[in-house]
Order: sequence, then structure tokens, then C-alpha cells
Amino acid sequence: MSCIRSLVAVSFLATVGFSTAVTAQEMISDTTARKQPLTTWGVQFEEFEYRYSDDDEELGVWNADAFYGTDDFKVRLLTTGEYEIEEQAYETLENQLVGQIPISKFFDAKAGVRFDTPEGPDRTYAVLGVAGLAPQWFEVDANLYVSNEGETSAELDAEYELLLTNYWILGATLDATVAFSEDREIGVGKGLVSTEAGLRLRYDLVDRAFSPYVGVVHERKYGDTADLAETGGGSTEDWFAVIGARIAF
Amino acid sequence: MKSRLGSVLLSLLMSTSVMAGEYDLTVDRVEIDTGDFVKEGIGYNGASPGPVMRFKEGETVKINVTNNLDEMTSIHWHGLILPFNQDGVPGISFPGIKPGETFTYEFPIQQAGTYWFHSHSGFQEPDGAYGAIVIEPEGREPFRYDREFVVQLTDKHPHSGDRIMRNLKMMPDYYNREQQTVGEFFSDVSKNGLMNTVRDRMAWGDMRMMKADVEDLQGFTGLINGKGPDQNWTGLFEPGERIRLRFINSSAMTYFDIRIPGLDMTVVQADGNNVQPVSVDEFRIGVAETYDVIVRPKDEQAYTIFAESMGRSGYARATLAPEEGMEAAVPQLREAARLTMADMGGMPGMDHGSMAGMDHGNMDMDSSEDMSGLEHSSMEGMDHSNMDGMDHSNMEAMDHSDMSGMDHGAMTMGKEDKSDPFYAKGSGLMPKAANGGKFLSYADLKAQDPLYEDREPTREIELRLTGNMERYTWSINGVKYEDADPIRLKYGERVRFKFVNETMMTHPMHLHGMWSILDVGADQWNPIKHTVSVQPGTTVYMETEVDAPGQWAFHCHLSYHAAAGMFRKVIVEGGPESTQAKADVIGEDGGEA
Amino acid sequence: MTISKFLVAAAAISLSATAFAAGTHGGGHGHGAASGEPGKASEVSRTITVEMYDNYYEPESITVSPGETVRFMVENKGNLVHEFNIGTPEMHEGHQEEMMMMVEHGVIQGGKLNHDMMEMDMGNGQSMKHDDPNSVLLEPGQSQEVIWKFSDNSNIEFACNVPGHYQAGMYGDVKVQ
Repeated sequence: MSCIRSLVAVSFLATVGFSTAVTAQEMISDTTARKQPLTTWGVQFEEFEYRYSDDDEELGVWNADAFYGTDDFKVRLLTTGEYEIEEQAYETLENQLVGQIPISKFFDAKAGVRFDTPEGPDRTYAVLGVAGLAPQWFEVDANLYVSNEGETSAELDAEYELLLTNYWILGATLDATVAFSEDREIGVGKGLVSTEAGLRLRYDLVDRAFSPYVGVVHERKYGDTADLAETGGGSTEDWFAVIGARIAF
Repeated sequence: MKSRLGSVLLSLLMSTSVMAGEYDLTVDRVEIDTGDFVKEGIGYNGASPGPVMRFKEGETVKINVTNNLDEMTSIHWHGLILPFNQDGVPGISFPGIKPGETFTYEFPIQQAGTYWFHSHSGFQEPDGAYGAIVIEPEGREPFRYDREFVVQLTDKHPHSGDRIMRNLKMMPDYYNREQQTVGEFFSDVSKNGLMNTVRDRMAWGDMRMMKADVEDLQGFTGLINGKGPDQNWTGLFEPGERIRLRFINSSAMTYFDIRIPGLDMTVVQADGNNVQPVSVDEFRIGVAETYDVIVRPKDEQAYTIFAESMGRSGYARATLAPEEGMEAAVPQLREAARLTMADMGGMPGMDHGSMAGMDHGNMDMDSSEDMSGLEHSSMEGMDHSNMDGMDHSNMEAMDHSDMSGMDHGAMTMGKEDKSDPFYAKGSGLMPKAANGGKFLSYADLKAQDPLYEDREPTREIELRLTGNMERYTWSINGVKYEDADPIRLKYGERVRFKFVNETMMTHPMHLHGMWSILDVGADQWNPIKHTVSVQPGTTVYMETEVDAPGQWAFHCHLSYHAAAGMFRKVIVEGGPESTQAKADVIGEDGGEA
Repeated sequence: MTISKFLVAAAAISLSATAFAAGTHGGGHGHGAASGEPGKASEVSRTITVEMYDNYYEPESITVSPGETVRFMVENKGNLVHEFNIGTPEMHEGHQEEMMMMVEHGVIQGGKLNHDMMEMDMGNGQSMKHDDPNSVLLEPGQSQEVIWKFSDNSNIEFACNVPGHYQAGMYGDVKVQ
């Protein structure tokens, strides 16, 4: 059997290997980026679309978020808007700025503020939420809001993706809003406020960065909220055909 | 024959002596053309891959590395035994090489074999900063060959490393295009029945794990020596010659299953260390590993070197041919790999009751899937040899087995039953040779000439390989590098490392500076490696003679896993006085181990 | 080895041994005629020492005259079991399958031979003795002689057919002049 390497190595170093001026070598401390938390960012438009309703209403709609941060803490900006093209007015315009931390293997907690600045009265909310991946691959995002008027409400978003192929993907979404107290000024009644359900068939054209889609969206208002809408001459139930693209960069 | 070998050796000898042990490398921005796409990358001396560095055992080499980039760089000599401050890991060995600066590495060459070098800064290595190292031994090789080629594989992706990391952090399945679809659901229903299929999908959905989670990074073009499949790198030979192929996997993320239809490959070296020769039809090369094989093409025909990615999302291809321009059939990719519940075996925190219940249903399914997999692969094998047709040696092999009849059948059956002990029983990643023949296992690797005397380890260190695919975080013992204390070893001890893979991915673990003696159950014949693959749901042991003072990196060699935190610093305390490392700054690392 | 494993192995051996007996292998043991025949000590013209290392021979080439009888002093100076076998490349190829079986059944274990296993009768009068006159199989440190009378066949090699060794290059050329 061959000799023991360590002995060879040591004697070798002792006799020949002084080229590197090895007497006592400095052990440096790692201050490189590798030793720092990895900072990352991303921007995603889950929805960026044109909607045409059964009432011939036309909307430009987006639902996007951008994040910046580490595994342990991220800042996230969420923005949602519905722009009525004919009336040139925002039906909804929500912007949220939240901080996000992991609380379990699959879920994050979020806290921050939300600013609603649509056509009509504005609202500011404090936000507390959880977001993550539920069993059976449901992406969920649940939030509790307290407005500057003291009214509380909650919103639950869920999303599921069905892979027809690895490029043709059918996405199903459901948003539901519940108010724990009434806010007549912005047309919100107590109880179940509204739901929005969507079905979108997309094709990943450029990686996952640009995926055009077509789909249908159903919006409905309930209870007192529906009554308030009717009183104001609005509709309580709409069907939309949508065309748009999912964008990530 | 012998004289030809002699002249090869002589020419090698001359080339190294002419270079007199001093080498220059520049680190440059280069253009990389894969045949599928052209991108900017990083290379050495104006090309990616960089040059083949040829050293001779016993010489002291001096390598001047000039950084022509506008960012820091470094070169790590992968698998070489050298003083720690020459190991080229920024923040551990040295501060790195600044833009415009020339750094001179100088170290004695104390080993022989096939190795490689690469940048250890940022994502320069996946961006193209790698090259091969060939070290000629002082004595003769314990095998013979007339010709040799470096066969360096990589997985070149159109995206830059930074962008890939960011995309994976944003959407961990960003690059996974082998996910289970509605179509696969129905084909599984017809194979296994509706209830079994639903139960199976529910079990995986409950864990939020994907069976298709084999390769994080798809969409690459496999390159061999910098050439894509269409560019077809070709090595020329004369029929009857023995050819030594030095396979090096320099991929960022991709394991390759390598075969040369029509040729037996005799593995003679793994990770630079000679092993007792073993003839195989196919082998899997982990990221950062090297395997040297000897092939002997006897016929005047071309042979395809086919390297299929482990998840079957891509391949690299090259050709051995008697003349330039000749080529052989390129096999089809096999079906995408699917993980099984067996691969989840290492996952902690799963409630036992439901696991047991699940297991039952799934175990049945796994075995039925395995069976169909078997049938499938043997059928493919048949198809292939038929399709190849012209492949003479295959034809002969078939005739032969027909003639010796049932005896042969029985033998191969026996062999196929023998699953690789380095995979979880029933694993979806269990390798199978495309032609139904012999697939190399770690268990086949035996040191040709052990470097160390076998002795009892002084202690055991358990390293659980941990991670969270949904967050794309990777860690050791649940702690990322940024939060981790160094692992402290004492000079002169023999440490037994216990890797427990609690993730569903394969991790090629690479300890710098000291050899990894992989426990394959062969005691003093256990092979000596620098990179040890740990398959999902398995526990693997390796032992290290702690004979190199200083501090060293120890990490998963998948680029994006290492960057996400599956990385450690190892500090070797003590040592002979002349080489003893100063422990001035250890306090800053907060060592408490 | 547990009893049951042993029985399975034994059964497998006897099964395959039967097949070998009935098989069409051209280069099995005892069919060395093509390369020459066992030589008589009295006819030996010279002695050649062949040293076996891991995994190569010293020398790697010899020259003989047609009909010459040579005494080979074969010494295993390596750490592994090695064979010295005189035959044509085709004979070696055939023999390699038998040697593979010897490894699979634990007869050859790296640096050791399992002699009990070699002696074992496989129920049909055959064994894995490896006692043919054109070859020797040696453990590290052992040496043995082979007396061989060469024919005029010039396509002869001496080779080690322990699995992988021949493929890795453990063979020597015999030039018949």
C-alpha cells in the first residue's frame, strides 16, 4: 500500500514548498457578498388586461406587485387598479406598501398601509395579512384592513393553476371581500361585500416573463353593498371578457 | 503499441518542461456561441472554456492571473491539494483579485489526474469561467491508452447567473418545464387507476412538493468542450486504439447520464484518483465530478458521446470518429424523471400517521411505475440497437445473448434487480442504462491505490442537507452560510461526515483542500473523491483525514444552492509549525463549535 | 454471507455453469489450442519473468519463435488479484465473462481469492477452480510458473481478465517471429 499522504505533503512543504512564503498564513474573515444575506427583487403583473363587460363597459385593469429584500424581510408594493376607459376615471385604485417576513415553511406575514385613491372619497388602511402556498397548490393571500374611518374589512384571494401543458396554463382566481362594519360613503355594506372570480388561459410566450392570455371575469356585489350600488345606479353583477398578459421581470 | 504510448508521454513531458511551470491566464469577457444562442460570458485567455492546464506531478507551478473584468474575480483549483491561501475562494483563502490586478498563484503539484478550475466569485463560473486541469503522474499510469481527450461538459443557459438566481427566488419553478400536466394525469389514470392517481396527486399536493422537481434550471444547451449538440465536438481516433476520455462536469446545475452507444467504457479514475477499473455501459456524473474512462473503438465508424441530463430536459453531444465530419445516430431523450415518495424519505416534520397511510398507496404505485419503467427502458434499448442498425458491436452483443439463451437473461434480470444503494429504494432517480446493461454506482468505485491507511474516525459530524424549494432557500442543518459558524476541525484527526439529505434534490457536496473518502463499504479500498453526491432521501458517509491547516470552503456545488446558503467555512486548527495558520481573526466569525 | 444468500449464489452458479457447458463460447478454459499447448519442462528453452502490478505487466511485450517452449515465472507484485493468461483476444473476451462471474459470486475479492468458493462443486462436476494450463490467477505476493509451447499463431496476448483489467490495458503483446 502506498505511503501516507499527509506525511508526504508535510515533508514536501517543509523541503520545497516555501515559494508561497508559508510560515504563518493569515486566516481572513469573510466579508464578501456570499456572507451577506442575498438581496433580491422582482416585479410581477399577475393581471394586465382589457375588460369588456356585458354592459359594454370597458376597463383597463392591472394587479401587480414589486418586492425588494432578503429571505428574512421583504418590502412589497402591491398595486391594483380598474380604469374606466369611457369615463376616464378610476373605479378602483389601491396601493399597498407592506413589510413581509416568513412565519412558517410556506407562509409569510405582512403588515403595512394601503391607500385607496379612486374617483370619489379616499381611504387609508392599516394592513395585516398572511400570504403563501396552501396544501394542494392554492396560492392564498388573506388580509385584514382597518380604515382611517375605523371600519374593518377582510379580503381573501386564492389562485390555482392547471397545467394543460407546460406552456398552456389555465389560471383560476377568486377574490372575496367581507366588511365587519358599514362604510356608506364608499358604498360598502356590512357582510359579504363582493366577489371576483376569473378564469384565464395563458401561454408562456417568453419564459415566464411575458404570457398573453384571454379569459372571463365575473364580479358580483352582495347584500347591503349590492343595494347601495343599485341605489347609485350601478350594476351588481358583471361578466367580462378579458384579454391581457401576465408579465414578470 | 508501447512505443506510441511512449511518444504520447514524451510529448506531454516536453510540453510541460518547455512551459517550465509558469503559466499566464487572463480573465476576459468573451462571446459564447452554443449553436442555439450567442451570449456574453466570462472566459480565460479569451475563450470559454479556458485552456487545458497541463501540469506534472512534482513540479511547482506559478500561475499569473490577470483580471480584465470590471469586477472582482478568483480562480479555485478544484480538487487540488495546496496551501489554503492558494485555494482561490474570496473571503476564505484570499481577498480576491481586483479589476486590472494580476495575482500570482504558486503551489506544488502533489497529485496526478483530471481536475478543473473555475471562478469562485459571484456567478462567473456559470457564466463561463472554467477550464480543465490535466496532471501527468511522476510514474506510469496504471492503465494504457494511445490517445486522450478532455470531455468537459457544461449547461450553458441564455440567462446570466444573476438573472437565474433572481428568477429562482421570484418563482422557484421559473425554469421547470417538465411539470406534471393534465395530460399526465390522464395517462397516469389509465396506467394506475383513477383513485390511485388522485391519491398520489393529493399526497404530493399536501406536501406542496413536485415530483418533477429534479432540475431547477432547464432551458440550457449542453456543451462539450464549448460546443453545442449541433456544433458537434469531434475527437479523431484510429480503429483499435485505446482512448482515454477525461470527463469533467463543469455545469452550474446539471447532472449528466453519459453513454457512447456501441462502446463499453472502462472507468479508471474518479475525481482525479485512480479506481480499480470497472466496465460500464453508462454512468452519471455529478456536478463538479470527473470520471476518466478508457474506450476502444475497433470499427471504422463514428460513435456518439451522448450526455443526457438527469431530468431529461436537455443533452450534450459529441462524436468520436475516424475522420472529421463523420457522425453517428443521436439517441432520443428518455422520458422526464419523476421523484417518488422514496425520495421524500429524508423529509422531517411529516406527520407519521398520514405518511404511513400515504406510503402504502404510493409504494404500490411506485413499484408498478418502476415495473413499467423497466419494461420501457428495455424496449427502448431494443429499439435503439435496431435503429442504429449499422452498429456492429451491438449486433454482435445481441446475437451473443440470444445464443447463450436463458442463462444470460437470468443474469441480466439479476443485475436489474440490483438497485443502486446510493439511491433511496424505489427512487425516481434510480439510474438505468439505456441498453439495459451496467450503470456505474458509487458502490463500484474502489480505490486503486489507497492514499491513506484505513483507521477509525476520531469523531462524526452530522450535516443535514436542508432547504425549502418554495422559498428557494438552501442550507446545512437548517442554517444558511450567512448565519452559520464555521465547522472547526483539528489537524491530525479523521472526521466522519454524515450527510443526511432532507431535501428532494441531489446535492454534490465539495470539501476544499482535503480528500473526501467516500464510504462505499470497501474499508481500505473506499474511493477518494473531492465531490460527493448525496441523493434525496439518503444518508451518505465520507471520512476526511484532516491534514491541511487553514480555512476551507465546504459547499453544495450546484451554483444556485451554494449562493442561497448551502455553504460552510471549515477551519482546521493546529498543524505543523511551518504551515500553521494564524487564528487572529477567528473571533470575528463568532466560532463557538 | 448468510445461508440464504449463499444458496442463491450457488444456484446461480450452477445454472450459469450449465449454460457455459452447453454454450458456444469460443474462448473458455481448456480450449487454448489456438495459442499453443502446455509445454514440457524438459523442452523449456528459456525463462521469462513476468511481474504483475496494479494493473499492468512488466514487460508488456515479449518475442517468441513458433513452437518455442517458454517457462514464465509470474509474480504478483500488486495489491490486487491478477491473472496471467495466454490466448487470442477472442479467447480473452470469452474468459472475461467467466471472470466477471467469479467476481459476482465473491470468488475474487479485490486483493483476495475465496478458495472455498473455488473448490465448491456446483452439482455438475464443474467448479470455479481456474486451473487451466494456459493461465494462473494469483493473489498479491504469490508467484507461480507457466510452461507454454507456442504455436505459429501470431495473434496472441497475455492478459489479465479480472473484470476491467484487460480493458484498462493489462495485457502484453506476444510477437511470434
